[in-house]
Amino acid sequence: MSKKTPLIELRNVIKQYPVGDGEFYQALNGVDLEVHEGEFIAIMGPSGSGKSTLMHIMGALDSPTKGKQFFKGKDISHYSEDQLAAIRNKDIGFVFQSFNLMPRTTVLKNVERPMMYAGIPHKERTKRALHALKRMKIDDKAENLSNHISGGQIQRVAIARALVMDPAIILADEPTGNLDTKTAEEIMTFFADLNKKGRTIVIITHEENIAAFAKRRIRIVDGKIVFSKQTRK
Amino acid sequence: MDYREIVLSALQSLRRNILRTSLTMLGIIIGITSVILIASIGQGAVKFITNELSVFGTNYFQIVPGNNFQSTISGGVTPLTRDDVEAIRNEASFTNIEEVAPFAFTSKKVTAEGDDKSGVIYGITPEAETLLQPDMLYGEFISEEHNDANEKVAVLGKDIAEELFGAETNPVGESIRIGNKRFKVIGVSKSPGGFAGNFINDAVNIPLNTLITHITGEDELVEIDISVKDEDLINETIADVEVFMRERHDLEEGDENDFSIQSFLDVIGTVQTITTLLTTMIAAISGISLIVGGVGVMNIMLVSVTERTREIGLLKAIGAKQKDILAQFLIESVVMSVIGGVIGILLGIGGAFTIATVVGIPFVTSIPWILLAVGMSTLVGVVFGLYPARRAAGLSPIDALRHE
Repeated sequence: MSKKTPLIELRNVIKQYPVGDGEFYQALNGVDLEVHEGEFIAIMGPSGSGKSTLMHIMGALDSPTKGKQFFKGKDISHYSEDQLAAIRNKDIGFVFQSFNLMPRTTVLKNVERPMMYAGIPHKERTKRALHALKRMKIDDKAENLSNHISGGQIQRVAIARALVMDPAIILADEPTGNLDTKTAEEIMTFFADLNKKGRTIVIITHEENIAAFAKRRIRIVDGKIVFSKQTRK
Repeated sequence: MDYREIVLSALQSLRRNILRTSLTMLGIIIGITSVILIASIGQGAVKFITNELSVFGTNYFQIVPGNNFQSTISGGVTPLTRDDVEAIRNEASFTNIEEVAPFAFTSKKVTAEGDDKSGVIYGITPEAETLLQPDMLYGEFISEEHNDANEKVAVLGKDIAEELFGAETNPVGESIRIGNKRFKVIGVSKSPGGFAGNFINDAVNIPLNTLITHITGEDELVEIDISVKDEDLINETIADVEVFMRERHDLEEGDENDFSIQSFLDVIGTVQTITTLLTTMIAAISGISLIVGGVGVMNIMLVSVTERTREIGLLKAIGAKQKDILAQFLIESVVMSVIGGVIGILLGIGGAFTIATVVGIPFVTSIPWILLAVGMSTLVGVVFGLYPARRAAGLSPIDALRHE
């Protein structure tokens, strides 16, 4: 596996944020990381450890201050905002903890949206969106407004939207943070299923029972990866 | 880009805050309504004035002495005379000329049954009837015989007749005194037009020769009106008459005319130009309120961008490029202003129709003005939506996602 080009590769990535008065906050402090196809990774760490920043850079939402960021072998460290947007659109599916869906918009329209940005025709969009919703067993809510469905349903719709462009990787930032234990496990089962079918998944969480679904655990403290271990195959 | 989808989603988000949207649109609505209202009423007024003036006929022109207003009042100009009239009448090459009607006037005290009144006395010939086409309320108009024989007969305007003899009274056969001369009333005439005919209704008309012989003693005309057979050739006829008159007045090449020729087409043209200019100016001034409306649009769009920062972050995360976000917000502000504009157009047309009906002027809707209004409201949406939209498009996805 290690001989293949990694999906995501970070080389000595440093990320600083200005905090005023010429001071900087160092969110990432020299991170090296490879994510390969088919992996299911849980990134863990206390709040303020830099795990969200790490996910933003892995997800091409942000560029490193120093260091290199590769996506499918391509150095994207200096890509423009619109070039990164194209990568996110095509190859990365995001699931956030909250505010995942456009408010007062139907579930279907939410799932169609990434395909609209990709320029896929209307009919095709609807077909694919319905298919993804069916896969997440939520197609019966297609015409519901996004603010009229439950938290667990919202996360399923978000996963459906993440899948609809058939991305190389799904990045989930505390996807179960707002859910009760039972619903959280349900959602994690969906992720595990997707991974079984070959989808690469990275999840940020600080809950052990959630991390237990993943096959590799990475722990980050003070902007450095301090632990990375394959827990199962 | 899927504009249909973006417009639909813009409509959706505008509907989300229907009160806020309506209040914002109000500025645009008021601006467009007033522009359309003023333009429509202004054009109605132009049409009204044109119609009124056309009563006199657009098929004639007039020659007046002097080449401008100043020389007319300061005197010293070559007068127009009855000989000029005869010469024009007898000139064989003027085939398009129908009638030549000379006018002279003076102001004199007019008396009947002891009441006296200062009146304008017109000296006219029978041709005036063809040109002015007055409605004869009583009696008859001045005839060739009256004029040839210097008869002391008078045709009273409707208003002066009422003042001298009372309303609903037939004064034909009665006498009036003009100065110290006694005249027999042979008719009462009324102008067929509205406001434009007031001077006819106020005048006392007597034969031209009588005026010159018995009252003024001077062979000077204030104007010669010439009607033409073919209105389309009026400008050629005017040019011919001008050359003819210059020869009669022995003007050298390079000398200025010592008379002026104007047609009612000119007068109507001038009135139209002035009224249209005024209308355009007032409409433009009322269009300033559109800027106020535009600032309202910009304000609310900025609020909307701030409120929806998280949503913008989300959309960027799922692949929206800067132009996608820009288009979304720009289209939203344009949709808002255009809807405001359309409402404004409807209200403006409705208001103009009501006012036109009440005031009694023609109701005019002008397609160019409506198109202009649509264009202006679109422009307002673009101009005032651009800054907020650019701000939304320029947000970094991380900052937008982190926004609380």
